Amino acid sequence: MDRVDDLLAAHFSVEAAPEGLASQIVRRARDADREVRRLVDEIEITATDRGVCLIRAERLAPPASAKARHLAEQARVELREYLEGKRTFFTVPVDLSGAPPFQREVLAAARSIPYGEVRAYAWIAERIRHPRAVRAVGTALGRNPVPLIVPCHRVLRSDGGVGGYLFGTEYKDRLLALERTTPVLQGCTTTRIVCRVGCVHGRHMRPANRVVFASLEDACSVGYRPCKVCRPAAAA
Amino acid sequence: MSADDQTLMKLAARGDETAFGDLVGRYQNRLFTVAHRLLGNRADAEDAVQRAFLNCYLKSGSYDARWQVSTWLYRVLTNVCVDELRRRKGAKPSVEVSDAGRPPERTGQHLDLRRALEKVPTEARLLLALRYVDGLSYGELARIRGISINTVKSQLARGKAILRKALG
Repeated sequence: MDRVDDLLAAHFSVEAAPEGLASQIVRRARDADREVRRLVDEIEITATDRGVCLIRAERLAPPASAKARHLAEQARVELREYLEGKRTFFTVPVDLSGAPPFQREVLAAARSIPYGEVRAYAWIAERIRHPRAVRAVGTALGRNPVPLIVPCHRVLRSDGGVGGYLFGTEYKDRLLALERTTPVLQGCTTTRIVCRVGCVHGRHMRPANRVVFASLEDACSVGYRPCKVCRPAAAA
Repeated sequence: MSADDQTLMKLAARGDETAFGDLVGRYQNRLFTVAHRLLGNRADAEDAVQRAFLNCYLKSGSYDARWQVSTWLYRVLTNVCVDELRRRKGAKPSVEVSDAGRPPERTGQHLDLRRALEKVPTEARLLLALRYVDGLSYGELARIRGISINTVKSQLARGKAILRKALG
């Protein structure tokens, strides 16, 4: 025992948790049923041969070809995983060729916002070099043809307000809460491989083998190596 | 005590809220202290502990009885805390979080230690917190973070070396 040990022992001495913690947790558990995962059963998805082109909570024309049907089904599977907190990125392609050029730029900027983070409408406007077009950015996002996959829900008002959302602001709140509580990087204790949450390699990972990391650097510092499939370094 | 924990865990898995409450009562102070020291403020620590227990409650069916309940709880809590730290790195680095509820520092040395701990990498800081809050063994720490015992030892040594250097 030296001076650092003594200081650490004093610093980490056990303190009392707030009162009523157990009852608050039980209350949260009861509320957990009212989750966003049901959204996936309420939406229609259509696609072209190039990718998903429209997601709406209304009846849509079915995909025209077998390839488009396959892409729409892949999108539904990935969306279900996303809404269950088992996926933090999408691999299904999107087809935004039907959108005007300005909207495509806005949507591309929205896609660059990392999972679990938020940006302001003004940030998008700056990023696409139209700093005064904040209102037009809001309109373009409001008409986002592929919500969820293009994460327009990660864009908020500069004053911190939630702003609008295609499926309603309550869903926007819930999606943001879901992303706040879903980890992005997870390692498997048996393979010592670190993946992005949603990677095919992590799908069969048992809960007891799952550890979360704050960064790829942290994971590598304790002997984990990055997955070659989902390539977490590229995502970071 | 361990057998009692497992009984409580089994009851909680069947939806017994009283058993779950007993389990929370048994571990809440230690888990809260770890979360508070890692995250730096009471509100985030309380949320992290709630989320960790909530995960345990909702997924208690996936609890593996070969694990000690405490080890399982610490695994879940550290997963939650580490992800919160990742989010902060991305969102707003180097923001000093004010904490009105924190007990006053007893000496300047403790303040220095808090600052020095910020220089310690996340994984080493996590292991230091678990080691000093609950006196967990190297084996338990290795299991909680899914790393080898040698890595635990080297991380703890590295963390302390950084602290010694920072504290002079």
